[in-house]
Amino acid sequence: MNTSSTRLVALFALLAIAVVLPFAFDPRGYAIRILCLALLFAAMAQAWNIVAGLANQVSLGHAAFFGIGAYTSTLLLIHFGLSPWLGMIAGAVLGGLAALLISLPTMRLRGHYFALATLAFGEVMRVIANSWGGLTGGPVGISVPFAPPDLAMLQFKETRPYYWLMLAALVLVTTIFLAIKRSRLGYRLRAIKENADAAEVIGVDTTRTKIVAAVISGMITACLGTLYAQFQFFFDPDTVFGVASVSVRMAMIAIVGGIGTAAGPILGAFFVIPLEEFANQIFSAQAAGLSQLVFGLLLIAVILIEPRGFMAIGPRLKRLLAREKADG
Amino acid sequence: MAVVQAILDGLMIGGVYAVISIGLTLVFGVMGIVNFAQAEFLMLGMFVAYFAWAWLGLDPLLAAPLAFAVVFALGAALQRLLIRRVMKAPEVAQIFLTVGLLIVLENAALLMFGSGFRSVTTPYQTSSLQLGPLFVSVPYLAAFAMSVASGLALFLFMKSSWFGRAMRATAQDPMAAKLMGINADRMHMLAFALGVGLTAFGGAVILPYLTASPTVGAQFVVLMFTVVVLGGLGSVAGAVVGGLAVGVIQSLSALAFPIQLQNLVLFVVFIAVLALRPKGLLGAAR
Amino acid sequence: MAEPVLDITDISKRFGGLQALSKVSLSIASGEIVGLIGPNGAGKTTLFSTLVGLHRPDSGAVRLDGRHLVGLKPHRIAAAGMVKTFQNVALFLDSSVLDNVLTGGLMRHPVEGARDLARRCLERVGISAIAGKLARDLSFPERARVEVARALCTEPRVLLLDEAMAALNHVEMDEFMALLRQLRAEGLTLIVVEHHMRAIMSLCERLVVLNFGQVIATGTPAEISRDPAVVQAYLGRSAA
Repeated sequence: MNTSSTRLVALFALLAIAVVLPFAFDPRGYAIRILCLALLFAAMAQAWNIVAGLANQVSLGHAAFFGIGAYTSTLLLIHFGLSPWLGMIAGAVLGGLAALLISLPTMRLRGHYFALATLAFGEVMRVIANSWGGLTGGPVGISVPFAPPDLAMLQFKETRPYYWLMLAALVLVTTIFLAIKRSRLGYRLRAIKENADAAEVIGVDTTRTKIVAAVISGMITACLGTLYAQFQFFFDPDTVFGVASVSVRMAMIAIVGGIGTAAGPILGAFFVIPLEEFANQIFSAQAAGLSQLVFGLLLIAVILIEPRGFMAIGPRLKRLLAREKADG
Repeated sequence: MAVVQAILDGLMIGGVYAVISIGLTLVFGVMGIVNFAQAEFLMLGMFVAYFAWAWLGLDPLLAAPLAFAVVFALGAALQRLLIRRVMKAPEVAQIFLTVGLLIVLENAALLMFGSGFRSVTTPYQTSSLQLGPLFVSVPYLAAFAMSVASGLALFLFMKSSWFGRAMRATAQDPMAAKLMGINADRMHMLAFALGVGLTAFGGAVILPYLTASPTVGAQFVVLMFTVVVLGGLGSVAGAVVGGLAVGVIQSLSALAFPIQLQNLVLFVVFIAVLALRPKGLLGAAR
Repeated sequence: MAEPVLDITDISKRFGGLQALSKVSLSIASGEIVGLIGPNGAGKTTLFSTLVGLHRPDSGAVRLDGRHLVGLKPHRIAAAGMVKTFQNVALFLDSSVLDNVLTGGLMRHPVEGARDLARRCLERVGISAIAGKLARDLSFPERARVEVARALCTEPRVLLLDEAMAALNHVEMDEFMALLRQLRAEGLTLIVVEHHMRAIMSLCERLVVLNFGQVIATGTPAEISRDPAVVQAYLGRSAA
């Protein structure tokens, strides 16, 4: 009782700090943009976490949903002047449909096979976006048309409102993740993760459960794609459908922080994104590819040192200390 | 006649696909690991061959054994330093280790070689042979011939050398292999080195008709996985059949679809096979 | 005999060259405890797996309360009221005992209701004390009991127990048999695979003997122990 209420207080304090944090930064500066990206990627990793963390279905193709979200709202805005909020809903529907489409043939697959199939799906979406120039503008990319700054059109003059938007998105997605984790769906996903046959025998519809989770995760990821488009104003197929730039990055953030935990993706994002930007600042003047190289090396290092991420370090230290005490 | 020509072209390209994918399937068959970075070794093979041509004036076909040797050594080192440590780790760790390797190799190449495209010139580059109404491009034919030769060499190695037999034993039954005194760790190293080496060999032989760049691997990722999944992940014979099939599918779909959508056709085949016959069209044959 | 709750007719299943089940027919009355015995490899576990839908039989029919089950997925068969426990114990190892059992209740209840039901199931099986432990940290007999509690939490009409009493000591076994009798009294129908002859003889009013995938005898424990074909099946194996 006591610990849970102190936890709650700490959580609200943290949230309050997060809300006022942008006032400490130059509203037109670079640092606050990095914070925005960190929040956005935390939310994306959280969405990935729903399928990968709870059911252990490791997707390498979430960029497909992200790109669908970014392109859907942007194209609807360009051609019909539709508010990105409505575009976001349309994107979510398409993202959910795409998740359903890819889930149906791949649901029996596990581990390496599932990763392979999702990777191929993301790659094909990238190829289509690149080659269907008439719709997407092709490899040249696409710009979000300027509108009068307004919440209804999801455009702002300054970075702060974006920050709050991203923060709200992260809080929302994390809440959804926690709600799923504690719901029937969450228990069923964990049952599937740990023993799919046993889960079926005691009444878990494993196929349906996995599809529902994938569709939720795909819809959320598509919504975040719209946010990304509105924040960046310009993107191309290789950025929003990229394996390394989106799919692997989402996964890596969740893994670095702690796969399957709610805090993991947040910790991971606030470690990985600033580090990457930092590497970009230092290295990109010298050579293209160096910051990506750092990214890859970091991924390898995390996998080799602690594949369960930051969230596993606490318990690990505790065990170590307990052993020391027992020895001493 | 266009269809027959397309099938012939497809078989020529498919021979190369077979060899580069045998490397991938070998790694999976012996170690149980899907190497997501496999296509990067094809890129490295292309660059070894390119520099052998640029600096030593060596024809890429002659440089292919060199590409094999260099990447073989690199593969052995990577297995020793990295892959070995996740052999018993959860699948997530295995997947993301090789994904990390993919990112590192691609960007290391970008740093070292720059993002430009590099191609070689050979005397036979634009020549072709005529067989009645059909044409065979000489670079395609040469690459095909080299692929067949390397495939046969691998076959002989696996069948008749002690290492080859020990490696197959490790793939089939690691416990029994261990009891027979086979060092599984060493077999894994050999399989990984051999697997990436073969893929690099394939990269070298296609250099006469394809330009090298650090990002060339991305073009081959889905393709290679389609080949091995079609043939059955882990099956060498399957990779040969899968490679030829993918080559033919690709070149036939080029008749009907714009070039960018050929990948989509491959993807549909890939997903269909994964969903319907996850063990490959040939079943679980090894 | 009362109206059969479970009706198995001519079930056959082949794996490659092995005929695992051949034309197995059984009729189980509501509220019966039937013992399924036979030498190792006789097809007992395969029969259970086929009944709950993990394998699809090559031919034959299974009816639960008159409803055809062949071709249904395991979760549909569980919803119809038949579940099995796993001989090699298939718990969710990284979850707590309570969460393991609770998952069985989710089919018919929301999470809170399933949790209450799970607590009652743990109590019935006599393992309330370990509710908070991780399944991974349990001993083998404890795991087997969690397996039973989880199956009970699905509120089945027919429960298939695959060597649930293995590794229990005498006292535990007596408690467990009392539980099974109690469950039967409440209307549950049980099929029990067990190597422990003392247990099975005192528990079951009817035994079915499988050998090489075929039913070679059915009858009361007394009849079965005198049946020459059964004696031959067991002795023939051990002599060979």
